[in-house]
Amino acid sequence: MQLTQSAQQANRQSRRARLVDRVVSVVFLICAILLVAIILGVIYFIASQSFQVFLQGATLKGFFFGTFWDPTGEITGGAPSYGAGGLILGSVITTVCAMIIVVPFAIGTAVFFTEAAPQWLVRIMQPLIEIFTGIPSVVIGFLGLITIIPLMQKLSAPITGNLPTGGYGWASAILVLVIMVLPTTMSISIDALRSVPGSVREASLALGSTRWQLMYRAVIPACATGLGTAVVLGFTRAIGEALAVALVLGGSQIPNWPWTLAVFFQPNVNITSTIAANFQETAGAAQYAYWTLAFVLLVITLIFVSISHFLSSRSVYK
Amino acid sequence: MSLQEVASSQIREVRLSALKRIAHRLAITNSIAMGVLWVITLLVAALFIYIIISLIVQGASTLISPAFYGTSDAGIAPELFNTFYILILTELILVPLSLAAAIYLVEYSPQGRFITVIHFAAETLSGVPSLVLGMFGFLVFAVYAHLGISRLAGALTLLCLNFPLALRLFEQSLASVPGDLREGALALGATKWRAIRTVVLPTALPVIITGVILTAGKIIGEAAALIFTMGLFNPSNVFTLNPMIPSDTLTTRLYYIKGPGAGTLSLTSSQETALAAGLSAVLVILLLIINLSARAIGRAIQRRVTAA
Repeated sequence: MQLTQSAQQANRQSRRARLVDRVVSVVFLICAILLVAIILGVIYFIASQSFQVFLQGATLKGFFFGTFWDPTGEITGGAPSYGAGGLILGSVITTVCAMIIVVPFAIGTAVFFTEAAPQWLVRIMQPLIEIFTGIPSVVIGFLGLITIIPLMQKLSAPITGNLPTGGYGWASAILVLVIMVLPTTMSISIDALRSVPGSVREASLALGSTRWQLMYRAVIPACATGLGTAVVLGFTRAIGEALAVALVLGGSQIPNWPWTLAVFFQPNVNITSTIAANFQETAGAAQYAYWTLAFVLLVITLIFVSISHFLSSRSVYK
Repeated sequence: MSLQEVASSQIREVRLSALKRIAHRLAITNSIAMGVLWVITLLVAALFIYIIISLIVQGASTLISPAFYGTSDAGIAPELFNTFYILILTELILVPLSLAAAIYLVEYSPQGRFITVIHFAAETLSGVPSLVLGMFGFLVFAVYAHLGISRLAGALTLLCLNFPLALRLFEQSLASVPGDLREGALALGATKWRAIRTVVLPTALPVIITGVILTAGKIIGEAAALIFTMGLFNPSNVFTLNPMIPSDTLTTRLYYIKGPGAGTLSLTSSQETALAAGLSAVLVILLLIINLSARAIGRAIQRRVTAA
């Protein structure tokens, strides 16, 4: 009698435990799905806001190829003008130039770091890279304001004729982006290089290759897709970088054509700096224009993420 | 010596010298390449060290002045309070959610399409610029959810921003628990949840804590996602736990001082720069502390694992 009672009790307990297990697993599933919901929400809400500006008088051609950005109409005092071509060009030029500088430095350092660097250098660099991947972008922006801009002003004085605003602009933004993106690209490259198994290196050395041949002919080709991912993610980070760049760009319109080299050293714009400076102060049709800019940024980053996903799905070593 | 032998020894000599030339050329290429890589790496290391030291040195004179820790325009007491407040508020939401998602992915979900979808979503979300995520947070949390420009809206935006990173870190920490511990618990008749609660989570705890610290670094350093969702200003009664008030943080304050708010405070231009330098130094020091403590915990774990 007592035995059946305790058996029943045990049975009840285990049934309750199973029920709890089921409930908990469903709750956890919901948390996992929340992540998908967030990214779908981001895409949906930004896309839904971004087409409104074209119902308010902007044209597609005018938006992407126009160069006068005045969605509130307060500069001319007349009709608003939605020419985002200059902003998009600013983002593209600063990002591409920064990455041209970053890629050789990041990959060179990463290869040296994993293949040839002495132990003491690794011990110094490892924490430095980790700290720098997390350094707040505004801090780098501030550093740009107090060190890079005066330097650029001096360097560009013969070209721009020593303007009081000289130094602000694309050149400074490019250098700030280099500092922001270099650690990220480097640390992803290092991870990719470390995933190459030792047998690849041993095989190359056994064939009598020098250390440079080992890097250039064996290790780098073996993780080319991994390094490609690192570069693409660097692009993603660079094009989305906002406040640091906003601090050193310091302009509100793209300079007028015709350009000389001086265009790199005068106050200029890109997408993120314009959004950061003006988004909150606008409403209605003017604000829709900023949503369209955000959508452009979002689409660019989605393309980059897809490329990096494609590359990493093709990589041999993970 | 026959004619044939002379010819073959000459051929051998020619071949040998050709091989020597190749080896010489390879050695020279190798030394040049190594030299260039040394220079590049040392340049990068020097740049990093220079930046950290110059940020701290520039802020040093501000750091030792007592007014810097006050509540006036030149003080950062409200920003320090807000930064830690928003850090704790965000972690309180972020850790349970992302840990639960990580547990589902590692412990419950079968390998396959579902995990791939979640990972692709995480990858995509981590690629979205934080400024764009800030605009999303402004629209959804501040406007549609009627939270207004508030600490809660800011914390929820930071949740979206850090979810992918936290998920990846927590997944790694759970995956580091050896499988036989789980099997042992299950063999004793425990349900899956009981095994996770009593065996897997306690074992993974130190690695989970490291993950929390790493996300903390990202939350403290974030600014772009907060300027539209949490604002750039403090109300007069900033030292409250009320999550519905707007407030600034160390980073957004730094942006405001040198960006849109330059010249609007009751400070001279050099005072503004000194304040900004102080803020930068505080941020760098906080980051160093976070990084060092994460490393210390990591080392402690290693010691415990190797001792056991």
